[in-house]
Order: sequence, then structure tokens, then C-alpha cells
Amino acid sequence: MSLITQTQQNAPILLFNDECGVCRRIAKWVKKSAATAPGVSSIIERPIGDDPEALLALNNDLDIWDAYETIHLLMPDGSMKVGGEACAEVLRRLPSTRWFARCFAVNILGFRPFQRVLDLGYDALSDIRPVFGCESCGSPSPWLRPIAWVTQRVRVLFGGAQGSPHSAHFTGINTH
Amino acid sequence: MRLNTIRNPDVASPSRSARDNIRTVTSATFEELVLDAKGPVVAEFMSYGCTHCRVMEPILQQVAGMVSPDETIVRVNIAVERELAVSYQVQGTPTLIMFLDGRERARVEGPNPTVSTVLSAVTKPFEQ
Repeated sequence: MSLITQTQQNAPILLFNDECGVCRRIAKWVKKSAATAPGVSSIIERPIGDDPEALLALNNDLDIWDAYETIHLLMPDGSMKVGGEACAEVLRRLPSTRWFARCFAVNILGFRPFQRVLDLGYDALSDIRPVFGCESCGSPSPWLRPIAWVTQRVRVLFGGAQGSPHSAHFTGINTH
Repeated sequence: MRLNTIRNPDVASPSRSARDNIRTVTSATFEELVLDAKGPVVAEFMSYGCTHCRVMEPILQQVAGMVSPDETIVRVNIAVERELAVSYQVQGTPTLIMFLDGRERARVEGPNPTVSTVLSAVTKPFEQ
């Protein structure tokens, strides 16, 4: 078995939302950072896509709605890590970040303070994604809507796109 | 609610919460299953990346079970079937379009995700 094949088989699969610009940028950074040698990567990135059956083929417990809801990392042993735990595992696997990712395992009387901070950071990023132009992440939280509105106007002012109408999502208050 | 590490078994995913009462149609099957169908058909234009569609999914599954076999509810994934979305001028997701004998009778955009609202939306256009 070649080294590449061995490495790819031992590499977890990071599922990312390919409809979200923020997620695409993060996945691109992970891909770049995960390359340990030409053709060898410590993490495989894969867009979630639109086929529920294809995801079930990867892992029988993997649901496409869940995959879009939060970050999923499919481990080589068949388990899945999600949310902040998935972020920590990704950072542990990247050569450039593994040195500080050890802190996420620090456990003080059953409490993992650094992991908790990462969980909160992930949740915050997930909430503010719509502000950065993610049309697939739903409507921004009420407190974020003024910021999202200003961001959108600034983007248009500088020649940016307003977003595809077919990626817009109704919020449940637009009954006609 | 966001989940961490281990999925909570008490929180069912929309597509696992019940038997799938909603068939996915593509541009290849749209004509046969929607336009050529006899009787009422409701097409939900949705995408899996849409948070409101996720909220709607179990509601629509429930409604699909309630109206079957008089009505058929199908889903169209606009991330894949963009041409269908354009031809039906879908401005966002979820959009429910009610067809009777292949002709559009009504549409509802972003309905409130309650069984009563959705049930009313998918049955009233066919009562006229």
C-alpha cells in the first residue's frame, strides 16, 4: 500500500457547507494547511453537497440536515466529531496548529476551559456567518440584522453582488 | 440548538424523524410526477442548506402523511434543479407551489412552520 493511500485512509473527512462563502474560505485554508507533502493531506475536505444518500454512504448516522447545521468531521474509525470538538480535532491534525491545539484537552476537574472557549467561538462564528454574506446560513439573529444590513449595503457600494435570489431563504414570516 | 461531540438521540433529525413521505423530484421526473399527474400535487422548492427548510421538514412530513393519498407532496432541491427554480420564478426557499392537473393553482413563500398553517396552505387552493 502506498504512503498516499495509507495517509488518505487515516485522514478524517471534513464536511463543509459549499453554499457558504465563509465555510468555503475556511475549508480552503484547512486544505492548504493540511498538505503535509505533495499529494498527501492530513485532512480530506468534502463539500456536503445535495445527496442525502451519498452522505449516508460515508457514515450511516450522517444526516444531511445535521451536516448543514454544524461542522462534521468523519473520523477514520467511523465516529463523528461535530461543532467545537470537530474544530479542535482539525486544529490537532494541522501541522501549523497542533502545538497549541493540545490545550483543548486540558481537563480541570471534568471541565475543559479551552475547549469551552473554542465551543463558544464556534457558536459565535456560526451565528455571524450571515453577516459575511452566507446566504445559506439562514437569517441573521435579530441583534445582527442591522450589522448585516450595513454590511450588505457596503458590499453593494463597492461593487459586490447582492447575492443570488435563488439562495435566499424565507424566515417564516412571509406568508402570502 | 447546536450539538457537540455526541449527537443527542432525543433530538431527531428532520429526515430521520419519520418515514419519508416526500419524494424528491428532479428535472427529469418533474414532468411525469408533477405536470402530468392527475389531481393535486404540492412541490416544495427547498435546499438542504436552508435553515427554515430544516424547520419545515418535519412539519411537511407530517402534513404529507395527513393529506395522502388525496394529495402528493414532493420536494425540488433548487441547489440542484436551478432551471426549475428559474422557470417557476422561485425567489427563495421554502416555496410551496400547488399544482392541480399540472397547472399552478397557488403558491406560498416561507410559510410559518406550524402544521395548521402548512396544512391550510396545501389544501385550501384545491377547495375552490
